[in-house]
Amino acid sequence: MSSLDELSAAEIAVGVREGAFSAEEVARAALDAIDQREGEVAAFLQVSNELALNVARATDAARLRGEELGPLAGVPCGFKDNMQLLGTRTTCASRMLENYESNFTATCVGRMLAAGVTPVGKTNMDEFAFGSSTESSAFHRSNNPWDTTRVPGGSSGGSAAAVAAGEATLCLGSDTGGSIRQPASFCGVVGMKPSYGVVSRCGVVAFGSSLDQVGPFGRSVGDVALAMDALVSGGADPFDASSQACEAGFLSALEAPVEGRRVGVVPQLMEMEGLSDEVKDGIRLAERVLEDQGAQLVEVELPHIASAIAAYYVIAPCEAFSNLARFDGVRYGYQEPGCATLDEQTARSRAHGFGEEAKRRQLLGAYLLSSGSYDKYYYPAQQVRTLITQDYLRAWGSCDVILMPCVPRCAFKFGEMSDPTQMYASDMFTISNNIAGNCGISVPLGLGPDSCMPLSAQLQGPAFKDQSLLSFARALERGLDLGRGLGAGAPVAPGFAKRGGEL
Amino acid sequence: MRRLEEVLRDWEAVIGLEVHTELTTLETKMFCNCRLSHDDEPNTNVCPVCLGMPGALPVPNRKAIQSIVMAGLATNCQIMRRSMFYRKHYFYPDMTKNFQTTQGPVAFCMHGYLDLEVEAAGARERPEWEDVAGDGKTPLSRAQDGSYVAPIRILRIHMEEDAAKLVHVGGEEGRITAATESLVDYNRCGTPLIELVTEPDLRTPEEARLFMEKLQQTFRTLGISDCSLENGSMRCDGNISLRRRGESALGTKTEMKNINSFKSLHDALEYEICRQAEALEEGGIIYQETRHWEPARRRTVVMRVKETADDYRLFPDPDLAPFELSDAFVEECRARIPELPDAKRDRYVAELSLKRKDAAILAADPAIASFFEDVLDGAETGLAPTIANVMVNLVPGHACLQPAQVRGLAGLLAEDSITFAQAREVLDLVDGSDADPVAMVDERGMRQVSDAGALEPIVDEVLGRCTDQVQQYRDGNRKVLGFLVGQCMKAAKGSGNPKLFNKLLAERLEA
Repeated sequence: MSSLDELSAAEIAVGVREGAFSAEEVARAALDAIDQREGEVAAFLQVSNELALNVARATDAARLRGEELGPLAGVPCGFKDNMQLLGTRTTCASRMLENYESNFTATCVGRMLAAGVTPVGKTNMDEFAFGSSTESSAFHRSNNPWDTTRVPGGSSGGSAAAVAAGEATLCLGSDTGGSIRQPASFCGVVGMKPSYGVVSRCGVVAFGSSLDQVGPFGRSVGDVALAMDALVSGGADPFDASSQACEAGFLSALEAPVEGRRVGVVPQLMEMEGLSDEVKDGIRLAERVLEDQGAQLVEVELPHIASAIAAYYVIAPCEAFSNLARFDGVRYGYQEPGCATLDEQTARSRAHGFGEEAKRRQLLGAYLLSSGSYDKYYYPAQQVRTLITQDYLRAWGSCDVILMPCVPRCAFKFGEMSDPTQMYASDMFTISNNIAGNCGISVPLGLGPDSCMPLSAQLQGPAFKDQSLLSFARALERGLDLGRGLGAGAPVAPGFAKRGGEL
Repeated sequence: MRRLEEVLRDWEAVIGLEVHTELTTLETKMFCNCRLSHDDEPNTNVCPVCLGMPGALPVPNRKAIQSIVMAGLATNCQIMRRSMFYRKHYFYPDMTKNFQTTQGPVAFCMHGYLDLEVEAAGARERPEWEDVAGDGKTPLSRAQDGSYVAPIRILRIHMEEDAAKLVHVGGEEGRITAATESLVDYNRCGTPLIELVTEPDLRTPEEARLFMEKLQQTFRTLGISDCSLENGSMRCDGNISLRRRGESALGTKTEMKNINSFKSLHDALEYEICRQAEALEEGGIIYQETRHWEPARRRTVVMRVKETADDYRLFPDPDLAPFELSDAFVEECRARIPELPDAKRDRYVAELSLKRKDAAILAADPAIASFFEDVLDGAETGLAPTIANVMVNLVPGHACLQPAQVRGLAGLLAEDSITFAQAREVLDLVDGSDADPVAMVDERGMRQVSDAGALEPIVDEVLGRCTDQVQQYRDGNRKVLGFLVGQCMKAAKGSGNPKLFNKLLAERLEA
């Protein structure tokens, strides 16, 4: 087989199905790649060698028995470590769950497995998904494969880095305020946050239940479409009351032309403080690519979007406080030894099991929900949520998708963002999408001329118009050569590193 | 301490109840598919959802929502078409997620009431001059015997999940005090629970007891719970405060726990009213506290003092979308409601000419009512009052009777073939067997002779030898007739019809 890096998910699945190479060969190639690159990238918390080989062998055996293989047969796939997968630990990158063995398999993971993927491991993340750099992982940091002195983004930083470094063809991440799209942007891969309710959250350790959504990373829009088909197959999940049936057929809708369809642009967003020139230029490029294919640019307004961060940092910590209350060391997880009373055990287990950011968010949530604060913060935050949702609904009246930056600038260096509120502010372009429950995707545009780091454009679409969104993402990809030829998707780092300016 | 009735002349007791009822007749828990059971091995009916494992999500039980809507309709509540689940946070091992999923300001059922019929004996607890119900506006009209009807308003009925059961080992009466270890059984965790909260409309321990009884009858008739106070599937907390007669401001309340029988509810409230009155009369103050009823010592003791209001950080559960109950759903629930005890009682009185008291007893318990109707099936309508009499006065204490046996027995009683005492004897004999009471009576020669010709010689014989009593009768002492009937029965060796003896004796004496 040619280098694993060079193959798309579809090519791997076809190769395995037709016997060009075996799933086991692909698995070994992926595990080798992980072996070679993990020293620098450190994307994984666990590499599941044995599980990967067992699954791959089972795939090969099924083929030999003449069974029909899934559309992702043999495709190496990593899972963010907040997703349960039997046979692995699910740590959420926290001391609290350091030794927690998964006791069932998350629906999203199960559906990927049903489509045939080979699970290569669990990827690093910010502790309990609290962060934008993967620096709050209790175990180790992950590095941006394009420049290892820079962060991969977060919280799904390990998943983005693994795909960017060619360690896995696909990864799943979760996105509560930008945790898929931002690291995808930083690492130069495609990362999609589906509409709220499209992908089951069952088995995914909750951060903000009303905001969390699972989605795929891939090096091309086509790979992401294949993953989306797998994630929605089987319809609504009876074990997640918020999941809804969503039409499959992402792959077949992918090449739908954008001619005559409308792309919204928000002038106000392009004036945001802190937005780098590189990113602005990238968005202008994306506008041209879509216009060249006949899409029509229209200006739209999102008047309340500036309040999204404030609303988010009320709602998300409140939900996080509540969701993480269960980690008390009584039934599972870290338990402080030698405590005389239950209160002491609970307090010390939580004090020592959680890291700084996890404690900060829970304390914030506990404060915001306390009597008196609730009316002052939580209730108005929900009102702002309604206003932002209405802003989007108005915008959808005049456009099919909205094009905007995903992040204000490229990946930052380790330690560069020491003030948590500065870190929170970098989510300004992604958060409103979770607030409104819409779908969003980060599409790589190539490396910036100044930073030599990946740049991206973000497309957002109305709730449950995920297929339409993906067809715009594909149109953007179709018009760009990121080093592998026009429309071929993103290359693997670091092979193309330092080749900035070749947008 | 002074007696309750004296205390209640000077003080008005303001009582509200919080009643938790487990929906024991459902098959599965509130938010997962675990089986509901009281008797299984500890920690066998558990799953990631009810154990609060990371990543597990709640999915509401449709049948539980159906049950609470039925409960609301049966207690005259308004069914709220829009309501939500909330999370109520507290750290304790009986709640795996460290929050309880419950409802917020709007419950599925709001603003209902039950009319309480307080009968003469119990009615004495309320001063007879009081003329307004606890709602402050409904006039309290009393019947001749002092009985009255009072409406008791229901604030709300909301849906929630039950906590796990903690078993404290080594302490007193299974309480945590001095316990050496505590065990947790999560089988109960996540059991669908409905909590009914009354307005503080109850004024006497008897009213509180009757309210609970009526609630139990109603929920049992709906078939939503076995409502066992003993086993804890129905639990009641009583809130109580006193105020001087004529005052409108509420006093400081205490909350009563560990009430596991109707008698405990009455007695705990009675004790607490008297205790509070004594404290207040001595110039003391009442602390807002939770008190534990100790049935053996017949007193309440402090469990914990509430110095500050607990902050449960209640907020809408982001895993559960707001409910929008459709008209069709509510109507479906309404259609499932069987005839309720009050309506059944009134029907028994109107259609079967039962005594109101008998009708009420039969209608109160769905199992008894159903047995009664089985007995009635195939009997003449005219037999209904006798059947009811047998059901109320003879059947209790007999565990394995068949409807046909009761029907046969009632027939024998109605035609005066046996006495009431004999009827009890026959029931004892046939209980648990297939024996036919009629055949039994014939076999044993118990049938009373109701042939006047056969009884007349006995009457003459008795009148002949009891000349003193005959004279007393003629002098106006009519009570002596009973003695003479007894003598006749004795002479007939119990086989004569006492009513007929009575008639024949009276005829002879009046002649």
